This record gives sequence, structure tokens and C-alpha cells, in this order.
Amino acid sequence: RRDQSNSLNILTKKESLDQVRGPQRTTDEPPDLRHVVGLSLCDSAPLLWRVEDLRSVRSQGLVGALLGSLPRTPRQNGRLGRPLLLLPEEERLLSERRAAAGLPAGNRVSLSTGRVHPPGEFPWFMGLFWWCWQDGAGVELLVKQHEEEQQRSYEEQSVFALEDRKSALLRAMTSPHTDEALRGRLEALDQNFTFPRSALAVQLSTARAGLTYCPEARAFLQADWPMRGQNGHTRYQVFRDLRGRGFYLTSAGKFGGDFLVYPGDPLRFHAHFIAVCLAADEHVCVLDVLAVARLGSNVKKTVLFCSPGPGGGVLYTSLQWSGMV
Amino acid sequence: MPPPSEVFAARSRSHKIPVRGQKDFFPDDSEEQRRRLEQTLDEHWSLISEERVERLGNLVKAKWIPSEQMVELQTPAGKFWQTMGFSADGKQHLLPEEALYLMECGSLQVFYRDLPLSIQDGYEKFLSSSTVSLQQYQVFGHLKRLGYVVLRFEPSHTAEQDICTNDRIEEDKCSHGDEEDKKPPESHPTAAPGPGRTWWVTDDLGHQLDHQPVSGCSRWNFSAITFPDVGSTESSTESSSSSLLPPDPCLLPGSLAVGVCNVAPWRQRINLREVKMSSKEQRTEEDKQRHRWDINKDREVQRCRNWTEYRELLVRREGKRKGRLEHLWKREVTPLHDPTQPISTEELLEKISVTQSTDLLEGASSIKGSDEWRICFNVYQPDTVADFKKSNPGKPYSRMCVCSFDGPVPDLRAIKGLALQSGDVPVVFAVVDYGDISFYTFKDFQLPTDVYP
Repeated sequence: RRDQSNSLNILTKKESLDQVRGPQRTTDEPPDLRHVVGLSLCDSAPLLWRVEDLRSVRSQGLVGALLGSLPRTPRQNGRLGRPLLLLPEEERLLSERRAAAGLPAGNRVSLSTGRVHPPGEFPWFMGLFWWCWQDGAGVELLVKQHEEEQQRSYEEQSVFALEDRKSALLRAMTSPHTDEALRGRLEALDQNFTFPRSALAVQLSTARAGLTYCPEARAFLQADWPMRGQNGHTRYQVFRDLRGRGFYLTSAGKFGGDFLVYPGDPLRFHAHFIAVCLAADEHVCVLDVLAVARLGSNVKKTVLFCSPGPGGGVLYTSLQWSGMV
Repeated sequence: MPPPSEVFAARSRSHKIPVRGQKDFFPDDSEEQRRRLEQTLDEHWSLISEERVERLGNLVKAKWIPSEQMVELQTPAGKFWQTMGFSADGKQHLLPEEALYLMECGSLQVFYRDLPLSIQDGYEKFLSSSTVSLQQYQVFGHLKRLGYVVLRFEPSHTAEQDICTNDRIEEDKCSHGDEEDKKPPESHPTAAPGPGRTWWVTDDLGHQLDHQPVSGCSRWNFSAITFPDVGSTESSTESSSSSLLPPDPCLLPGSLAVGVCNVAPWRQRINLREVKMSSKEQRTEEDKQRHRWDINKDREVQRCRNWTEYRELLVRREGKRKGRLEHLWKREVTPLHDPTQPISTEELLEKISVTQSTDLLEGASSIKGSDEWRICFNVYQPDTVADFKKSNPGKPYSRMCVCSFDGPVPDLRAIKGLALQSGDVPVVFAVVDYGDISFYTFKDFQLPTDVYP
């Protein structure tokens, strides 16, 4: 009986724009049009691998989701590292802004010269068709290049290692009686120091090599990312509108909604809203509305029902228990 | 490649993660907030841009074999070999998800055509619909990072077992069908025998002997005779559960020979899932036990010294009943309960209830497995890692099913099918929401009853 009267007293309230205004009104255009983000698909999921691309999307207020183990401490889930997975809405926003392109699939070898172009020596004017997948003679060249690089690295690291050892000995030379022995060791070190191969520090690259260390390569990335997955249009319109108001958005599956809405960068701010996207003409069951609103109040967030209107705007509605006793 | 000096220097960098401070609720355009955001972002980008740098001696070298969708080790495996990988044709292999995880941990360097693969190459080459999907790998990595042992679930094994045990059930039904209803009254193995009472005699239990008075000397110590607990989880390590050793011959009538009993079909038919009770439920249960009517507490039954006397008692009681309400039992439809028989309220309610309660496994064997839902991984708890054996991993802690918030919720048919495949190991649904993973499990819920005699 009480439940029934309770639900009868529920009023829906249109959120005034002031409340959903957001931190700052941004234009639809991204701040940095020159940077084209390189996307690559893994099992049809759009992933970003290069740090500069991650920085670029973050500067456009797109958060994404980090999926990989963090190199510094790989065996924990609290902080993750590259790659960054984009939400479908983030991917679509980038392709709409023509700010995304497909990353090429492998290392590039010049077809005509058969030669691997080191970073900085990219014949960028020739365009992407110049390059082909690593195959045939190209691979041998790449292997040779890799071996040479590793050898060079070993030689340089030997020098550093020797310097390290010497400076450690020199630091130890404080008292006069040990000096003699230490000096002897220092000379011996100079003559027969060998840097063990196993001590060679090697880097396990996160992003595929090739374009990574080559700033000019960005010029290659033509904004050619296709629009994928046109369903979920309602979600996209809501996403675009909220982002346009300066909010940061992440997915809200564990809260039973579409997006978690943050007033600023999620690294520093708590989310205020749980956005639930509904087409304007979509019927909803009152039980679902109540369930999601209850959940929202449990986690101290306001649930926003977001419906794109015909004029391109979005109507935001929240539910309030009006305490009529 | 980055300059060697940088790589060399990275060997001695910190392994600590900067602590994140308390988040703010509202942006207030203050200098303080701006500064804190900038600092947090700086830390964030320095963490994100860091590359893995390892000593060559600490790296296990391996080769990607695309035709087999497998990674073959080229140098001896590390500590990870205890919980990952397998040997075949004298070579050590890793599954693609294991190799990718180890690459991410900085323990493994995988080469393809003599060139080292980046983490990106690993994601793009190793993850596919024919191996494991990206979402499945996310779940795998998440659990591995927490320390769990995660192995692929092989559905073929359980499916085969199911088929042959079902056949055996059919056989059992044919041969023993008519003997099944002659069961002795329920007896508690721990109940101490009453003074002067012996239910079974050591020598032949022929029909004739039933009538002879029982000698008081051949009494059994019932507390020493253990009844087999077919449903026990302890005896159910996957190899030894299928058969039950024959009972001690001295407990059997002389002419009876009992061989090894295959209990696997029986285990299939009962709910083996352990009921985990809260302390409150436990008290309720103990209370219930205390109030439950026990046939052994019946004075008249206690006075019976053998089966014959017990049967005579039953006949006597039936006669009594028939004396008064005999006509009720003579029709096609008989009363659900004989009022002369003591019964607890709860049992009576159960007897007269129209809808019987059911559990997840009931009727599950008749459900065809669905393609949409399948178990991906067997998961073993981190504290078992020390004595974990790949050859005999034992019973998993749980089995993982990977799905996403975009997909449907499994229906009862799917849940029953998975529960049957999983046996008495709980099935956990790992729901992937982009970067977030939530774990859910459907549990048989026992409704509390507040009916006491």
C-alpha cells in the first residue's frame, strides 16, 4: 500500500540546462586538428598504442579504457597501461572529426630500393603505397638491421657499464690506505672488463616499431578511418552533446547505465551523473526507471535519462522522490 | 629504437606507482585544482609512456608459429612453467594468451621471422576468434594479474564423460529397477545402538533366520561402520570419484558378493554443490535437526530387536489405522498422509505442497548445450600455486564464462546447461565493459522457512 502511494508521488523533473551545463562549453571542433590519431583493430576493437595518440585523445576530452599491464608493475589491476580501448562513441567522434586513421599493419620496406628506411629518412612525399608488408628480401634486411642495432646497443652499454663500475670504485676511494688496492682494481677493470651479454638491457616495445619513432609519419596517416557500427545512434548523440558541454564520459556498465559523467578529468574528479540513453519515443517500464534511480541514489549520483530531440538537442530528465507524506 | 643510454638507464628506475590523492567533487577553477590536475596528468603520462626494459638474461626467448597458433620456447622456461605451457614433440609450448601475458609481464620475448614482436604485434597476431578473443584475454589477464592460475576449459572431456555415464544410468535402471524400493529405513551412521538392540546379524540373513531370536553377543559397533558419502566433495577429486570400494565382507551376509560400485551415475543425479550457510542459517538448521522426528527415537521402534520385529510393528500399526479409516485407503485415491504416523509440520507441508522446489541441476541433463554460452577458463586459487601440477590440476575453484554488457543475460536454459557442464564447480560470468570487468554468479538460493513443529 505504502509502496504504491510512494510511486504515485514520483514527479519527473526536467533538468534545467544550468544543472547539466558542465564545466565549460566547448565547440564541436577538436582543439588540435593537425594530429591524426592512429587506430588499429584487435579482434575488431579499436586500440590506440602510441603515447602521442593517447595524449591527443585525452586533450580532446576522450578517456577510453586502458587494457594492458603496466610495464612498471605488471602484476596488479589498479593501474593499467597501453593499449587504450576507445568506446564506439569515442571512435565515431574521432572519425567524424576526421582525426583518426588506420595504423599500417607492419614494418615498412621500400619496394623499389628493397631498403629499410630508418626513422627520419621517410620518403613521406611518396605516400603509403611505397611501402609493403615485410616479406621476402625485406625481412632479411630488417633482421640484419635489428642485429646491428642490438650489437651497437651492446657496445654502447658496455661503455656505460664500465663507467658505472669505475665511478663506484672512485666513490669508494676515500681513505689513503685503500687507495693503492683500489687503483690496482681500477686498472684491471680498464684492461679486462667484459660486459656479459645477459646483462644487456633490451626494450620490449609496446607499440609496433616503424612509425613510432618517426614524427613525420603522422603526415602519412590520412584521415581515412571508416565509420563503423552506425547502431547506437541515440547513445552517440547523447555522448556528443555531453562532451560538447565539457563533461568527461566513461562507460557505466557496472552502474547499470550507458555513461558515467564526470565534471572534469576522471583522474581528479568524481562522477556526478549516470546517463541512461533512451530514444524519445521509447517506452520504458516504470520498474526499470525506479530501479535505476534507486541505484543512482545508492551511489550518490543523479541518474539522467537522456533523449535526443528532433532539433539535435538532448532532453535530460531526472527522477526525484517528492516527499509528500 | 631509443638510444642505448636511455635503455641502459631504465634498468635502475623505480618500480613504485605514485599514489593518487583524493578526488574532488566540483571543479572550481582554482589554481590549486589546476596544479593538482597537472601533477596527476604528468604522473599519468610518465607511467603510460614507460617502456618495458629487461636484462637479456632474464628474458625467455620464443618463436611465434602462426600455423599452429602457438608459441614455441627457444630457451629454458622460467618459473611460469609450473602453471603455464605444455610440452609436445619434445618442445615447450605456450598458448597465445599465456605468451601475451608473459610478454606484458616482461618475462618473454617472442620472435616472428627472427624479429622481436612488440606488445601490439602480440595483441594483433595472437588474439582472434580461433584462439581467444580480446575480451577473453582481458579476463585472463585480469585474473592472472591477481595471481590465479587460469587454464583453458576443455569441453570435450566433460561431454564424453556425460555421454558414457548416461548410458550407465540406463543400464542400471534395467537391471536393478525392481529392487530399488526395498530400502531399509533411514539410519544415521553416528547414532549409537540402543542397549540390547541389534538390527543385523553377522551370519546369513536368509528369510528363515529372520524369525530366530537374536543372540545378544553378535552386536555391531555402528559408530565404527561408516556409510559411504557419495556426495562428499572430498572424495571427488576428478580421478577417484567414479568408483566406490566394496564394503567390508564381514558386514555382508555370507552369500552376498558385492563388487566395486560405480557411483559416477549417482553423483550425476544428485546436487553436489556445497550449501554455504550463514551462521544464522546454521543455527536454524541445527534447530531443525533437533526438532526433526527421528524414527530411532520412537520408543516402540527402539524396542524392536531385529527387522522382523520392526516389520511386525509396522503391520500392527497399519492394522490399527485400518481399523478406523480403512475405507479411505481402499479407493484409487488415497490420503496423502496417514495421521497415525508422526510427522513434522515441515515435512507435512512438503508432502502436501503442489509445487515442488527445484534446483539448478534438476533436469539439466536433458538440456542441449548452446553455442552461445560456453565456459572459457578453469580458475584455481592463488594459494594453491605452490603445489599446483599442470598434469593433475585437480578441481578448479571456479569456471569462467566471458560475456559483455552488450549481449543478453543468460537464460535459465543456458545457466542449467553450464551448471551441468561444470559439475559441482561454480560457474562465474565475467562481464567485460570496455576496461571494466565485473564478476557475477547465479546461485541456488534456499528460501528460509519459519515453520517448526
